[in-house]
Amino acid sequence: MNKKIQRSLAVVSAAALLFGVSAVTSATAAGKTIYLAFQAPLTGPNALTGQDELTGAKFALSEYNATNPAVKVELVLADDQGDPTVAASVAPGIASNKGIIGLIGPAYSGATQASLPAYKAGGLPMISPSATRVSLTDKKAPVNGFPIFKRVVANDKFQGPALVRYATKGITAPKVYLVDDVSAYGAGLADYAKKTITAAMNVGKDSVPVNTSDYTSVVAKVKASGANVVIYCGYAPDAAKFVKALRDGGYTGIFASGDGTLKADYPVNAGKAAAEGTRLTAADVPFENVATDAQMVAYTKLTGIKVPGTYVTSTYNATNVFLSCIKQGVVSRPGMQNCITNGQFKGIAGDTIKFDRYGDIIGGAAVGAFVIKDGKIVYLGVA
Amino acid sequence: MSLFIGGYQGRQIRRRYLERILISVATFGILYWLGINFIKSPSQFFQASIIGLSNGVLYALIALGYTLVYGIIELINFAHGDLFMLSAVFSANFITIWFHKESSGPAAWGVFFMCLVSVMLAAASVNIGIERFAYRRLRRAPKLAPLITAVGVSFVLQFIGLRWNGSGPKTWNSVLPAGKLSFSGISIPYTTMISFAVTIPLLLLMSWIVTRTRQGKAMRATAQDQDAARLMGINVDRTISFTFALGGALAGAAGLLFQQTRGLTSYNLGYQLGLIAFTSAVMGGIGNLQGAVLGALLIGLIQGLNDGLPIGLGQQWSQTVVFSILILLMAFKPTGLLGKAVTEKV
Repeated sequence: MNKKIQRSLAVVSAAALLFGVSAVTSATAAGKTIYLAFQAPLTGPNALTGQDELTGAKFALSEYNATNPAVKVELVLADDQGDPTVAASVAPGIASNKGIIGLIGPAYSGATQASLPAYKAGGLPMISPSATRVSLTDKKAPVNGFPIFKRVVANDKFQGPALVRYATKGITAPKVYLVDDVSAYGAGLADYAKKTITAAMNVGKDSVPVNTSDYTSVVAKVKASGANVVIYCGYAPDAAKFVKALRDGGYTGIFASGDGTLKADYPVNAGKAAAEGTRLTAADVPFENVATDAQMVAYTKLTGIKVPGTYVTSTYNATNVFLSCIKQGVVSRPGMQNCITNGQFKGIAGDTIKFDRYGDIIGGAAVGAFVIKDGKIVYLGVA
Repeated sequence: MSLFIGGYQGRQIRRRYLERILISVATFGILYWLGINFIKSPSQFFQASIIGLSNGVLYALIALGYTLVYGIIELINFAHGDLFMLSAVFSANFITIWFHKESSGPAAWGVFFMCLVSVMLAAASVNIGIERFAYRRLRRAPKLAPLITAVGVSFVLQFIGLRWNGSGPKTWNSVLPAGKLSFSGISIPYTTMISFAVTIPLLLLMSWIVTRTRQGKAMRATAQDQDAARLMGINVDRTISFTFALGGALAGAAGLLFQQTRGLTSYNLGYQLGLIAFTSAVMGGIGNLQGAVLGALLIGLIQGLNDGLPIGLGQQWSQTVVFSILILLMAFKPTGLLGKAVTEKV
C-alpha cells in the first residue's frame, strides 16, 4: 500500500476510534468506564511487535475486569506502525481525548520521541514496555520524556552491565575481550558494558563492522590477549559468524552477547557445536517463565497463543501499574501522573517497580539471562 | 636555487619537491608504525602478516578474473564477485550436503579435490554462459551498456545466492586438517598452507597459459586489436569465451578455498570480496596479470596488518585505510603499480 494512504488511514482510524470512544464516554457519564490507550505498530512491517505486546495488555485488563471492579477499564488502540511520522499524527488525537487517562506504549523509541510533544501538552502519563533508547530518560538529552514518560524495560544502560555480570558469572579470574559491530545499537551497548569492565578484567576491545566476512584477524587478537570471556555487542548474523570463527580458531572460553543475538536462527546459523553455551541477555523476560500455570492457561484461552511473543511481560507489567492506580481510585490524568511517579508497584516476577525522577525503574528493570543448550535458547533467570 | 624560480616552471619544481616530501613522510610514518608494532609483539606481527597474505592470495584469484576480462574486452565485469559467492555456496553444498563430509580424512580430501575440479568447471561454464547471453551482443554497443548489464547480472547471481543459501550467513565445517604448525609463538594453520598450495600452482598455470601457449597468444592478440586478430584468423568469440572460462575457473577455486578456510557462506559475500578484488586489480594496474596479484597481496597485507596489529586502527577502519592508500597511489600513479598508460583504441 502507498505510504501516504497508509498514514492517512491510520489517522482516520484513530480519529474514528476517538469519536467512538468519546461517544461511549458521555454515554456512561457516571465515570464507570475509564480508558487506557495502547500505542504500538499494529499494522505494517513491524506489526508483530505491537500485536505481541497487545496480548499482554489485554490479558492484564481481562484479569482486572474479571474482579468486577467499580470502575471498568477499556483499551483504545493507536496504531503508529512503529513510524515516527505516523506516530506524530496519531498522538494529538489520543492526547485530546480526555477519557484516556494513561497510555501503554509507545512500543518504539523513535515513535515515542515523535509522540512526546502531544502527550506532554496533554499531560498524559505513559509507560512504555519496549522503548529502550537511553536518551528518552536521560536528563541531559535535548528531548527526554520528563515528566510523563516512564518505562518498565531495561534500557541499554542497564543491559550493558547485566551482560558483563552474566558473561563473567562463575569465572574466577575473568579476562574480558569486548567486540562491537560499530552499529548504533552495538557500539552503544558496548559503551555501557565497558563501564562495568574493571581494568583488571579488561584485556582488549575491538570493533568489527556489520557484514564482515572475515573474522580471522580479531580471532588472532582475542587469542593473543589470553581472554577467557568474549562479549560481542551486535546482531545475530554476525555473532554467528564470529563465534564459529572463534571456535574454529581454537578459542574455548565463554562467548556472550546481548539481545541483538537473541534470535532463534542464531544457533542454526552458527552451527550447533559453535553456538553451544553462548550466554545471552535481553531486556525481556519470557512471559511463560514468570506467569503461573493458571495464568498461562487463561492467557492462551484469551489470545489463542501458546508461546507468548517478546515484551509480553513488560506490557503486562506496564498495564498493571496503571490498573493498580485505578484501583486506588485514580480517575484523572494528574491523579495518574502523581500515582505513577510516587507509587511503588509489583511486577509479575515479584520484582519491585518504582520509577526514578526521569522514568526508569530504580535499580534497573529485569534483564533476562539465556543460554544456548542443544541448539535451543533456554531461559535461565534474571541476569 | 631552483626552488625560488618563479612562474610555471617554478611551480612545477616546487610541487615535485612537495610531493617527494609528502611521500617520504608517509613512508617514514608507515615504517615507524610497523617498527613499534614489531618491537611490541613480533609474534603478533608475523601472525597478522600471515593472515593478511592468506587473504591476499584469495583476493588475487578473484582479482585475476576482473583483470583478464578487462584486458580483453575492457569491461568491468561486476558480476565476477557474485560468481565467486555462488562458487562458495556450490562448494558448501557439494562437500557437506551432497557428499556428507563434515570432518577431515582421506576420503574427505578426495571429495575436496573432486569439488575443486567441479567448482572450477561449473564456474567456468557459468561465466561462459554469462558472456554468451549478456555481453556478446553488446560488444559493439556504447561502453555503458555492457557495464549496466554487468551490474544487472550481478543482481541476478546475488538473488540466486539468496535463494540457495538463505538470507543469513551459513557456517560449515571444513574438511581440511584443523591443526597448525607452531614455532616461537607464530602459528600457521594447515588451511592457510593448503590455500597457498592450491593457489600458487593455479597462478603459475594461468601465467603459463597466457604467455606460453597458442591460446594465450590469441588472447593477447585479441586484447590488442579484435579486428586485426580476426583478420589473422583468430576465432575472437572463442578466445573471449576462453578468457571468461579462465577467470571463472579461478573464481571457482577461490570460492571453494574461502568456504573451506573461513567456514562460511553468505549471499552478499560477492559484493564485499569482489570490491576488494576489483580494487586490487586497479591498484596493480587493470589489465595487468602480475599487477593484479601484486595488488591483491598488498591489499591483503595492509588489511591484515591494520586489523591484526596491537597498535593499529583496527578492523573498523580497514576499508578506509585500503581506499586511502588506493587514492594516494592513484594520485601519483594513475595507471596502477604495474600498469602502462594505454592510448584509447579508436
